[in-house]
Amino acid sequence: MASNILKRATSSVLKSRVESFLIGASRRSYASVAVGTDIVSAAPDVSLQKARSWDEGVSSNFSTTSVKDIFKGAYTGVCSQQHVPSYQKNIDKFKAKGIDSVICVAVNDPYVLNAWAEKLQAKDAIEFYGDFDGNFHKSLELGKDLSVALLGPRSQRWSAYVVDGKVKSLNVEGAPSDFKVSGAEVILEQI
Amino acid sequence: MAFIRVGDTIPDGILSYADQAHQIQNVSVHSLAAGKQVILVGVPGAFTPTCGLKHVPGFIEKAEELKSKGISEIILISVNDPYVMKAWAQSYPEDKHVKFFSDSSATYIKNLGLELDVSDRGIGIRSQRFALLIDDLKVKIANVESGGQLKVSSAEDMLSAL
Repeated sequence: MASNILKRATSSVLKSRVESFLIGASRRSYASVAVGTDIVSAAPDVSLQKARSWDEGVSSNFSTTSVKDIFKGAYTGVCSQQHVPSYQKNIDKFKAKGIDSVICVAVNDPYVLNAWAEKLQAKDAIEFYGDFDGNFHKSLELGKDLSVALLGPRSQRWSAYVVDGKVKSLNVEGAPSDFKVSGAEVILEQI
Repeated sequence: MAFIRVGDTIPDGILSYADQAHQIQNVSVHSLAAGKQVILVGVPGAFTPTCGLKHVPGFIEKAEELKSKGISEIILISVNDPYVMKAWAQSYPEDKHVKFFSDSSATYIKNLGLELDVSDRGIGIRSQRFALLIDDLKVKIANVESGGQLKVSSAEDMLSAL
């Protein structure tokens, strides 16, 4: 499943001052991430892989991006038809509200993710990162075993508004096939 | 674990695919291969270059020739989920005979002893690159690549061995 994270930093570089106001509320009490969580401390030593072509992988030496450098789900129905497109369509509204990046993280390898992002023509609007071993999501307790659907370990469907590494709002669907709270329209109201 | 060799009977196992209605279907390997000559091709990753630009297209191109030599099925498997395999298959509109199957959790590949740990490249446990000629469930030819190359397991290699 693909999940979207919004990142905002102040006009100076990534690790700058924390915003002092709180927006929104966590709708779930059993994830280890909630409003106020520092995403980097919740997932220490976890790295993600930026979606890329194989050649880019080779030339970057299969580099990974650690979670702390990002913050100062593919080819499946809801992800492709509703979740990612809702962020693509609203990208101008996000920018207008000061969002620096919309990041989509899915439990897929970065090559599959890259091909999917290109198919959706979404790479201009959204940055895609692969959490191939699910460790990022496990650290946040947002993993979900979808072996029954033959997808293996994946993630919940969720969205989060993150400022300078701190979660300001978090929306997690009751079931990964739902698309009620994790779309762009909901989180735009929370920014 | 010892890997599958010439003379072995291939184990049964479940492969899956996403059908027209985007629903996942399961199929047993034995049901695909019993009583026939088939080629089983394994690749490390959908949407990666050697697999996508050379290995798979080779089989798509040579499928008719392989069929004329008595091959009933060309079964392609990779450790990717069925939706990814379907999307990858659709990226080859010219494909008529190669069937793309998913071994999502690498269970079948491990049964063959042909798994490959590519975690350092960020893609986890995958299949080695190989091509097997199987006649009524018995392995007649087992061409397994060592390393990431394409030297023994291509369609041409299989054709010249037939």
